[in-house]
Amino acid sequence: MTAPTVRFTDERLANGLRLIIAEDHLAPVVAVNIWYGVGSKHEVPGKTGFAHLFEHVMFQGSRHVAKTEHMALVQAAGGTLNGTTWLDRTNFFETLPSHQLELALWLEADRMATLLDALNQENLDNQREVVKNEKRSSYDNRPYGQSFIKLQELLFPPEHPYHHPTIGSMEDLEAASLEDVIAFFRTYYAPNNAVLAIAGDADPAQARGWVQRYFGEIAPNLQIPPLGDLSLPLTLGGEKREVVEDRVPLPRHYFGFRAPLFGDPRLDALEVATQILAGGKGSRLYRRLVRNERIAQDVAFFALGFVAGASMAAGQATVRPGVDPGVVERAFEEELDRLGREPVTDDELARARALIETYELEALQRVEERADRLAMFAMLLDDPEMINRQLPRYLAVTAAQIQAVAAEVLGAQNRVVLTYVPAATGPAVRGQDEEVVA
Amino acid sequence: MTLEEILAVRPAEGQPRAYSFPAFERTVLPSGLQVLAVHVPGRPLVSANLIFRRGAVDEPAELAGATVLAARAMTEGTKRYPGLELIEAAERLGSTLHVEANWDAVVASVEVAASRLRAALELLDELVERPVFPAEEVSRLRDERLNDLLQMRAEPRRRVEQAFSQTIYTGDSPYARLAGGDEKTVEPLTRDELMNVHRAFLAPAGAALVVGGDLTGLDVPRLAEDVVGSLATARGSGPGAATEVPLAGSAVDRPIVRLFHRPGSVQSEVRIGHVGLPRRVPDFHAVQVMAAILGGLFNSRLQMNLREEKGYTYGVGAGFDMRRGAGPFGVRTAVQTSVTVPAIAEALKELRRMRDSLVTDTELAAARDYLVGVFPLRFETPGAVVGAIGGLFVHDLPDDELALYRYRVEAVTAQDVLKAAVEHIHTDRLAIVLVGDADVVAGDLEAADFGELEVVREELPAGVSGEADEGAEDNG
Repeated sequence: MTAPTVRFTDERLANGLRLIIAEDHLAPVVAVNIWYGVGSKHEVPGKTGFAHLFEHVMFQGSRHVAKTEHMALVQAAGGTLNGTTWLDRTNFFETLPSHQLELALWLEADRMATLLDALNQENLDNQREVVKNEKRSSYDNRPYGQSFIKLQELLFPPEHPYHHPTIGSMEDLEAASLEDVIAFFRTYYAPNNAVLAIAGDADPAQARGWVQRYFGEIAPNLQIPPLGDLSLPLTLGGEKREVVEDRVPLPRHYFGFRAPLFGDPRLDALEVATQILAGGKGSRLYRRLVRNERIAQDVAFFALGFVAGASMAAGQATVRPGVDPGVVERAFEEELDRLGREPVTDDELARARALIETYELEALQRVEERADRLAMFAMLLDDPEMINRQLPRYLAVTAAQIQAVAAEVLGAQNRVVLTYVPAATGPAVRGQDEEVVA
Repeated sequence: MTLEEILAVRPAEGQPRAYSFPAFERTVLPSGLQVLAVHVPGRPLVSANLIFRRGAVDEPAELAGATVLAARAMTEGTKRYPGLELIEAAERLGSTLHVEANWDAVVASVEVAASRLRAALELLDELVERPVFPAEEVSRLRDERLNDLLQMRAEPRRRVEQAFSQTIYTGDSPYARLAGGDEKTVEPLTRDELMNVHRAFLAPAGAALVVGGDLTGLDVPRLAEDVVGSLATARGSGPGAATEVPLAGSAVDRPIVRLFHRPGSVQSEVRIGHVGLPRRVPDFHAVQVMAAILGGLFNSRLQMNLREEKGYTYGVGAGFDMRRGAGPFGVRTAVQTSVTVPAIAEALKELRRMRDSLVTDTELAAARDYLVGVFPLRFETPGAVVGAIGGLFVHDLPDDELALYRYRVEAVTAQDVLKAAVEHIHTDRLAIVLVGDADVVAGDLEAADFGELEVVREELPAGVSGEADEGAEDNG
């Protein structure tokens, strides 16, 4: 099976907006995905959680769109929508029946051009409360809820913006002011800081005309402040450990590692390694810890690609009742060490490649995913063509490359171990992933 | 034109492209197995679901969880592919074998490149017909379920769902249980019970194979006959299981409030509702429109009130979980602890308003247009199409159900919505079930008098303290 090539056009409007159109008429569906080059890494101490709070504000109306009317119009058009905030970027997207494409483009343009006209204290206060409740739901009121936040804290130094979570802190959310929102919008929500991707059942000439019409006159911001030097050593240079008491019935280990940057071929090798380590029942960690030795209730391992300083890889294993957590930790680490010590077998590599191929093909069937990836590769790597090279790159990863990257980053010299244990007494500790509007 | 002039004009929609739900072809094999094939052009990944119309609802109370556990154990090896060899064989095809049991059915599924469909179907047939249920693996999976139950108790979102079902259904209804069973019923399960369950559902006359994707050059009925044609006959109870409507008695005849104490909770997990509806109801489409307006749309009445006006929650939804029998109807949300009572009051107000007056034309149009418009988006991939066709089989619905869906939704009127609300939302017997900090909210709940209040202070799972502490509060 060969992956169908995603064909697209890639251009810039005079104001700097990057426009990518991938035409495909298989289903009567079109996806719009706009990525802004601003994420939680642009936040400064005292203002954490702001990029995500702002994402919520983007649904509170603009000059020609009332509060929450964005959702109403898209849904009444038969579409779906959302927005997400992450460390390196924020994005907004709509998927609609193809004859509604112009609506989505107009909605995105209206808020890029005129958001501040509709901004008021009441809407900000309302969304602040919504986001605080999101934090409670997703982190503070959940068992193990702070784990990702703590991994970030331990993996990245305090002066690095990846140190703090996208959701931010209650104190900083409380302190966010209208002036902050206005300044944030004026700084970052400019056409020259955005990539607009359109994928699916669209006529490129017509779509280009609409984009030119609605976005073409929006003024760029020529003074977007560059981020300082965020580079980091690839490894921690040692091991960091923390034990967290929480209201959990079973102990659980979380493991964190710095990893090569998004776009680095070593990250591709690490992605294939995660499949061999924990991708389903045939994987090494599942086979050993869950199935054969029966010391873990579940295992996971994954990599997250970032572009500033270092990416991260993370894993977890929930300890079975009556099992010494130390035994689980050692078994987990032994499997990671083994990956760096000896090459994976041909059969393991063949199975991983076959599964990755299916996952990629499955994902690329959907126009929403195609638009998202085109914008992502354009924004983060300045290389939208990567949408067609990603799968071949995964399939070309060799056993030697897996061994090399595992030896480089998955060892004790670069390891965070966070262990949750059932609290003797007391309430849950207080409180990650992408932050979304709903 | 200036930018302002351009943006001031809302675009008109274009000409919609014609859409119809992909047509499927039915073949009944001599064994009685139905084969439903749906050609979705341009989709080289094919989805295949083998569905058995017996689910957790069909098992006796003392064996609760046996069907779910049996499904989980089926991928643990067969005679020909012992242990993980089955999984590895599938992985070499680039596919993962899934078997899942829910309330209504057992579904074995695989997604694979069209060129490898036969090989994948052979593996699917192998695990469905000849699983060995190794005793060791069964006991491991059973223990994993027991551990999962511990985790569930500590997770407010899961705990409240269990408490809600237990509250609204009578004890003799299967829906009062957990589909995966609880400690009492799962602990004694052995290989023998799972084999019995397996024998009971492995009846070709109660099964269907649904295959979807680009089927160019594939003769699916022939392939099915070759590979699953010999699916063991006369072993199960045969057809008819689906037409038995499972018992779903209501345990609640007046408004009640049940609060499960979880000290230090910064939010209350809240469920408000009652026994709802089965999938086969004559006014299905009116109910869908009504539920969308109440709590389905992003801008539903509940969302606009509790989230966008009050900021009480990150999200609130409401809807009917329609099963072969009457699944629950519920409002679902998590609200900041300090606003628990006002949030419930607002939710109740919206439930009553739904019954008391007609929805506006705008609301009606928004819900209908959404459900009609989003329909093609829902079925962009073969996996979704196959799943929906499988649903027709499970619920014994007419073949044109999906093809007619959008027309039926379009025909729903404000009167239909009101009638659906009056008939199916029972404000006189709502159960309000919460998991939250009783030390903070019980007094206010008592005073609010939403119904008779019961506070449940239960033993928490091993290693976990039930002692109250001052509570790490962050309510701002």
